[in-house]
Amino acid sequence: MNIKNKKWTEEEFFKMREEVLSQWPTGKEVDLKEAVDYLKKVPEHKNFSLKLKKAKEEGVTLAQPRAGVALISEHIELLTHLQNEGGADLLPSTIDSYTRQNRYDECEIGIQESRKAGRSLLNGFPGVNHGVHGCKKVYEAVNLPLEARHGTPDARLLTEIIHAGGWTSNEGGGISYNIPYAKNVPLDRTIRDWQYCDRLVGFYAEQGIIINREPFGPLTGTLVPPSTSNTVAIIEGLLAAEQGVKNITVGYGQCGNIVQDVAAIRALESQMEEYLREYGYHDVYVTTVFHQWMGGFPQDEAKAFGVISTGSATAALAGATKVIVKTPHEAIGVPTKEANAQGIRATKMTLNLLKGQRLPMSKELQDEIALIKAETKCMMNKTFELGNGDLAIGAVKAFEAGVVDIPFAPSKYNAGKMMPARDNNGAVRYLNFGNLPFTEDIREINRRKLEERAKFEGRPVGFKMTVDDIFAVSRGVLVGRPQK
Amino acid sequence: MEKKTIVIGVIGSDCHAVGNKIIDYALTESGFNVVNIGVLSPQEDFINAAVETSADAILVSSLYGHGEIDCRGLREKCDEAGLKDIKLYVGGNIVVGKQDWNEVEKRFKDMGFNRVYSPGTDIEITIEDIKKDFNLN
Repeated sequence: MNIKNKKWTEEEFFKMREEVLSQWPTGKEVDLKEAVDYLKKVPEHKNFSLKLKKAKEEGVTLAQPRAGVALISEHIELLTHLQNEGGADLLPSTIDSYTRQNRYDECEIGIQESRKAGRSLLNGFPGVNHGVHGCKKVYEAVNLPLEARHGTPDARLLTEIIHAGGWTSNEGGGISYNIPYAKNVPLDRTIRDWQYCDRLVGFYAEQGIIINREPFGPLTGTLVPPSTSNTVAIIEGLLAAEQGVKNITVGYGQCGNIVQDVAAIRALESQMEEYLREYGYHDVYVTTVFHQWMGGFPQDEAKAFGVISTGSATAALAGATKVIVKTPHEAIGVPTKEANAQGIRATKMTLNLLKGQRLPMSKELQDEIALIKAETKCMMNKTFELGNGDLAIGAVKAFEAGVVDIPFAPSKYNAGKMMPARDNNGAVRYLNFGNLPFTEDIREINRRKLEERAKFEGRPVGFKMTVDDIFAVSRGVLVGRPQK
Repeated sequence: MEKKTIVIGVIGSDCHAVGNKIIDYALTESGFNVVNIGVLSPQEDFINAAVETSADAILVSSLYGHGEIDCRGLREKCDEAGLKDIKLYVGGNIVVGKQDWNEVEKRFKDMGFNRVYSPGTDIEITIEDIKKDFNLN
């Protein structure tokens, strides 16, 4: 496939658009002119971009849950509960797994069966099937900004529909919604398909409508070293900016060591801004999102609240613009609306208590920020080099070569040669570098940190540490020590 | 000692990749020849891989609750494909929600699985069982 990191012409965009809108009957409902008029009437408090900008300026951290069910009325009931009883600042609509695979006929069955059963048989909101009309109903029923959250490699039609329905944010990206979510989808295809989504947002920006875009930060949610997820976020941020996106939220999933987590968010925000400036995108507004622990949770609800509160505290101390909230039912499956609201309240309590406080700079924090930035820069440089200066081509080649390598990803387009593990303080380090283009200095720091743990535990550095770390939090600790 | 070949994978529409990678690593470390068909794998992929590699065992993972539906008929299809008496193992979160484990185990054994593992079972335990089943050390 012929891809380039170059803003699509209107001709290219509108040619593909015909095909996209014919993928399912509800595509016909999307009328760009009507959508522009509708979006222009979105009030400030329901506009995702403006609410994030205001939060950043005021130095507060907003709380956003995940939630979605099959039917419109039930979905509205769920979101209203999270808004009124949970006190959410921003609302999501989590999209179901069939929609993520573009299986809209199966969604239709899911919708019908859910009506019959009186409960949701889909694990999210089938936005394409409900169409612009259905998305507008949801938007009009709530009093907060709405974002689609999913995991869809080809989200072009979904994106058209949600934005026309008044939803002013969309999560995803060509890398972050492919490598962790698919097995066989080529990376150049998803980068192209997400360029389409970004180009649509760019088109709206040209009409004076600013829609927020959020690359999915946590990736596989399993011991992803900060520089790896930051690199992916920065690549996707730059690709979005080229297509005309003006409001970007870059994200990171909690690893667990507070100094490293704070460093990750601060490095991400400043490096994203540096890269945007360097490549000539001067009018892009950058905010950050911190995801509470994405790995395995303890079954005990009280313990789960401990995990949720620690993540909230870190988000506040890091100064993240928003935090994505987990629930006490995380270990069991899809939460009830009550459990979901509890997660938000626990989060907001912690955020309120820490309001205005930041983790002060220290030698440790400074070193950690410098290390994350240096590692990220190695991967970014090599990616640009492989693409001969073109980031889209470079990204495809970087994944082929394992220059950027996401741990535990299902995709065959990911090398899977890199292996992470925690150091003695719980920070996530690189255990096997695979083909990562790191300098000897960086390798040495990572090795030394893991050797400290090995010495403390009286066992060699190795994959057994990784395995123990993966199960540690659900068993009640951060670092997976050898079992006595 | 001749290396035993084991086909592993995550069955059905399930994209949970972490445990799959751990099992791959641990089995390889223990001296097995591992054929990993990865996540989102239909029954046919398990069987084709086993036929092509003359595998000694198939180890099925399922994490998302639909394991019971996804695993039905696997033994019969193995028989049809000429994989007579191939050892079948299954583990993960193989059913929806909390259920009586003895009943779940019986259901899967009736389906023709040789061994059935409850949620959270350490892979080392499975490896010990496989070694026992093939009279290795």
